[in-house]
Order: sequence, then structure tokens, then C-alpha cells
Amino acid sequence: MSEQQELLVQAAENIFEAIGEADLAEAWSAIEDAGFGILLVDEASGGFGGDWADFHAVMREAGKRALPFPLGEMVLATWCAGRAGLGVPSGMASVAVEVDGEMSGGKFSGVLRGVPWGRHLDSVVAVASGQAWVLPAQGARIDARTNPAGEPRDDLHFAKTAAHSAATDVDLRSCAALMRVAQIAGAADGALEMSVEHVNSRKQFGRVLAKFQAVQQNLAVLATEAAAVNCAGQAAALARDRDPGGDGAALEIAAAKLRANIAVGTVTSIAHQVHGAIGFTEEYPLHRLTRRMMGWRSEFGNDRYWAEKLGVRVARLGGTGLWHEITRRSDLGQPA
Amino acid sequence: MSVFAIHPYATPSDAQALRGEVRAFLAEHLPDSVPARRTNCWAVLDPDFSRKLGEAGFIGMLWPRRYGGHERDPLERYIVLEELLAAGAPVGSHWIADRQTGPLLLRYGTEAQRRKYLPGMARGELFACIGLSEPGAGSDLANIRTSAMRVDGGWRLNGQKVWTTNAHDAAVMLTLVRTEAGSERREGLSQFLVDLDLPGVEVRPIIDLAGHHEFNEVFFDDADVPDGALVGAEGEGWTQATAELALERSGPERYLSSHVLLASLIDAAGSEPDAVLAGVIGRLAAELWTLRQMSMSVAAKLASGQDPMVEAAVVKDLGNNYEQALPIAIQAALGGEAQLADGSALADMLAMLLQSSPSFSLRGGTREIMRGIIARGLGLR
Repeated sequence: MSEQQELLVQAAENIFEAIGEADLAEAWSAIEDAGFGILLVDEASGGFGGDWADFHAVMREAGKRALPFPLGEMVLATWCAGRAGLGVPSGMASVAVEVDGEMSGGKFSGVLRGVPWGRHLDSVVAVASGQAWVLPAQGARIDARTNPAGEPRDDLHFAKTAAHSAATDVDLRSCAALMRVAQIAGAADGALEMSVEHVNSRKQFGRVLAKFQAVQQNLAVLATEAAAVNCAGQAAALARDRDPGGDGAALEIAAAKLRANIAVGTVTSIAHQVHGAIGFTEEYPLHRLTRRMMGWRSEFGNDRYWAEKLGVRVARLGGTGLWHEITRRSDLGQPA
Repeated sequence: MSVFAIHPYATPSDAQALRGEVRAFLAEHLPDSVPARRTNCWAVLDPDFSRKLGEAGFIGMLWPRRYGGHERDPLERYIVLEELLAAGAPVGSHWIADRQTGPLLLRYGTEAQRRKYLPGMARGELFACIGLSEPGAGSDLANIRTSAMRVDGGWRLNGQKVWTTNAHDAAVMLTLVRTEAGSERREGLSQFLVDLDLPGVEVRPIIDLAGHHEFNEVFFDDADVPDGALVGAEGEGWTQATAELALERSGPERYLSSHVLLASLIDAAGSEPDAVLAGVIGRLAAELWTLRQMSMSVAAKLASGQDPMVEAAVVKDLGNNYEQALPIAIQAALGGEAQLADGSALADMLAMLLQSSPSFSLRGGTREIMRGIIARGLGLR
């Protein structure tokens, strides 16, 4: 981690700490004041000039703390709209990649599905078929839905809503998938930390749980899965920055999100197993991490989505071609 | 909290050129063997292939030129290893000498030992094996009983090693024995480099469940070795041997030894597989890509001079799991008519790996030992 990135993560930690128990309006004003929205916007355009490795590091921290606000969604919405020449989306902004609708005469009709924090938004940035839209969210009809952690994942219905639109080369689903990988990486490390603390303090049969081999072996597996997601996420973010494949690290992000999804099942089940009943209460904070991970596993591509996408791509490469492609991309994409 | 420090990997500037060299070498020299012999390929012996690799400068790559080495960068060597493994090249004969015995001699050996052994190892002509396990000392390595007693001009060895891979193909064995009578556990142990053709040394085969000869028993019956066979300091054997384990466990062979099976599946599936097969290929590719990132991080940490003990255990455990799940996932996903005896390359490799892969989480430290190391990294023991 570069010194600049360490400072950034430190700043993020401080803010997340401060807004831990705040309500949405209060927290959001702190997040806006801190200027996280422009994290990925380049300096020439008045942004922070951060890269995807920075984004990954911040979102990992957000995941570790189970931050219950659409910080990453706003960063992506701001970056994506700016890149498409659509300006800065107003107020609280989020992203949508499940788009069913069309533009006609500068007006959008249709539905955006599963939009994070949809009911609270001022604006939403949607991308589909090479087209980006910035839509005012407050005119939409809301079908309120939630993910397992109780966070809003709403359907937003629009009828002839005036919208800005432009062609874009951004694969917003991939970028959002990378965000979820970072959050899962942080949450997995957080669940590991909580689990280790618990087994070091809880006693049964006259000794702390940490001293039981069965518990040790289970936590080793949890630590291993957490390590896999962290490595995958960091490598995918690095690939997104260097883009050796010229496709926005589509291969690396597909692999990373799929690997993160696979890890979620193991991580959540072992963390709960070693905690016993106390980890299953509303009061104990483990569920803030595990229920979010359960939801993130589906979001911006579940296992089947990314497995098929990656599998089809790999099949076209062929057996030898797969090895040649992943080595070529990493040879070109690493710092020399 | 994390037990895996992600280490930045700086690609050698000639990475693509070097891969090209290795691929060209393989195109010319990779033997046209039965498909099963390309799986688990760092256990497949082919002295002729090893000699050609040595000639091409791909063995002893990090060692000083004066000992026959090539003074290359550790990450250049890593690239060569990756390419050999991914192609299923039969690298078993020289693997241990190149990975462990040579580096150990450079670290602890005498000038005479280096002059005697390293040039032959680098040429791919002098092969080594490692004698650790004994009938009463497997995962509990500190329980070893084989002894070396001082005699005039050297040492006299008595005892037995077991599960010694490639002892029948190797000229020398690096072994850990008890040099202090009455010592217990990690105390009083020393390492010796024993020429296997000495009187009093006998190598007997152990045939594995698939009918292959990889393992051996090695007996020492009043086997006299000269003073010059002691490696490093007397009594420091445990420390020296465990330092070597970072080299043993950290390499790409722990996840890439059976890559040819995945490649074969992809080729058999064709460019437009059905959704089920595409999904299986996607999952396996994601696991492969992730393991490679982790392995590269371990290689970079090792190259920077640090000991990636816990990280190596993480990659070995995950790599073993992947390589064991690979044939099972493929067998489950193939079309209903596919049989293990259908004579195809894919079926041939699959049948072999279904049988050999359970051993992957035994050799080089069992799954339980790896997870114990990780648990220690978490501060649980």
C-alpha cells in the first residue's frame, strides 16, 4: 500500500468510526463533506484522482465495518456520469445495471431493478448496452425491497422521465462487482477478527475454545478463504488500473467476484459455527457482516452469472490459450 | 485481521520473452508421452528431459555461475517453473535438487560440498531426494530415531527412512538424523548428504495404490559416511530442515501440477460449451486465477528474503483442495456417456488424478499440519 493510500484508508477509517451509529441523513452529510464522491474523478476535472486500488482499499474498510451507507455506489455513480460527460449527479446517487426500458425524445420509460438505497436517492446512474443515463430518482415509483441485511434494494419505475443520456464504454456491472469483492474481502477479515476474539475469550470444558483443534482447523479455513478474496480483490483492482487486456479487467473482475462469492458460504458458516448461539442474536454484531455478505453474493453477478460468463470466455481461449492469456495479462499488468 | 500479507509482485522485464523461450524449448523437447504422465508432473521422472533442461539453463537458475548456476532472478525462475508445470512437463527427476537440496547447500554447505554436487545438479544429471519421514515419525517429525554416531573419519548411520520419493532415481539423499544419543524431539538432530551408493544403504520400492513406484524405504545398516557429509552445524538439523520447508511448500507446484487436466477439459468442451460445462470451467478458472495471484505473492515475498511460512501453508492448503476438487468436478460435469475408460486424453488424465490427488494433501505436510500452521499464525496455538 502506498503512503497516499494509507492516508486515504486512515481518513476513511476515521469517518466510518465517527458515523458508525449515525442515521442516514447525518452520515451522508459527513460522507459528502469528506469528499469521497470524487474519489475516482481525475484531478484535472476537480476530483481526488484516486485509482481502483484506492477504491478497493476504501471499500474493503467499509466492508470490514459493515458500513450501512451507499458510499461505493456514489463513488461509481459520480465517476461513471463524469466519464460519460453527463456532469455530477445531484445529491445522494447510486447505480443501476439491471435496466429494462428505453429513451425516447430525451425521456426514459422503464424500470431499474435492485437499486441500492433507491428510495433515499436523489439521482441514479444506469448503464446498459453501451448507454449511460442519469435519472432523477425522486420522481420514480418505488417498489421497496431489501437485501438480507435489510438494506434497500429497490425497483425504480420511470414513466417518460426527462433524463440525460450518453454513450459510454464503462462496464458498470464489472466496476460494481469489484466494489462488492472489496466489501466481501473486508467483511471476511472482520468476521475472522471477531471469531478469533470470541474463541480466545469463551470457555467450555474448562478451557478457551481457541485451544480446541477442531476450532483451530475451522478458523484456519476461514482465514484461508478471507485471504483468497483479499488477494483476488487487490489483484483485480490492480488489473483495472493497468488494464493490460484493454477490456477494463473483465477477466480478472469476473474471476475475483466469482471467487469472492464462493468464499462467502464458507466464511459465514464458520464464523457462525465458532460463535455458537451468541453470534445468532440481534445484539451481537456478527450478523452485520454475515448478512451483508449473503446479500453481496447475489449482487452485480451471482456465482452462475460470472461462472458462465468466465467459462464461455475461457472456452473461446482454449486450453493452452487460457494459460497464455492469464500470464500475458499479468506480465503486462504488473509494475516492472 | 489477516494471516496473508499480500506482497507486491514486480514482473521481471523479460517475462514475456522468457516465457517464449520456455515454450519454444517445450515445443521441441516435451516428450510425446501418454496423457496420464503429464498430470502430477513434478512427480514424473524423466532423466533425459531433466538433462536437456539443464543444458538449456533452466535448472539452478539462481545459483552462482562458479557452481554451474545461472545467477538469474528468483521471479525469472518462478516463470520457468510455472511454464513447465502448466505444460505438464516431466520435471520430477531434478525437482528436489533444484528446489531444496541445491539452495540448502548454498546456505549451509561447505565449499567442497558445493563443488561436488551443485554442478551436476545444475546440469540435470545429479538428482536428490529428501529423507525425513520414518516409520514412527510422519507428521510428528521430531520423533525421528535414525542415528548417526561418530566414528573415525566420519559418521555411522543406522535406522530407516520411509516414503522417500524418488530415492531409486537419486544419487544423494539429504536426511535428518539424531546425532546426539539420548536427545529428544528437536534437540540433537543434524542433516547429512548421503551418497546412496554407499555400502550399508539399501533402497527398497513401495508401490502405490495406482501401481506406481514413487516412494521408497531407505535402510541404513552401519552405513559409514565421511565427515564431509555433515551439512551445516551439528545439532542444528531441526532449524536447517524447517528453513527448507518454506522452499518446499511455497512453489507453484502446489496448485499447478495438474493444470493439463483443466486445459484438456477446455479443449474437449469446444468453443461453445453448454451452460453447465461453461459454469464448471468458469469456477475452476476463477480458482486457478486466484491461486496464481496468491502464489505470486508468496514467490515475491520469498524473493525479497522474507519467510512466507504461513502464506505458503495457505496456498498449499488451498492448492491441494483445488487440485483434489478438479477431477471430481470434471467427472461430475462430463456428458452422461463419458467413461473413464473411453481412451481419450481427458479420461486418461482424469482416471489418473482421481487416484493420485488424495495424496496431494499428505505430501509436503498434511492438510492438518498446514491448518495448524495457519492457526498458529492466527495466534490460536
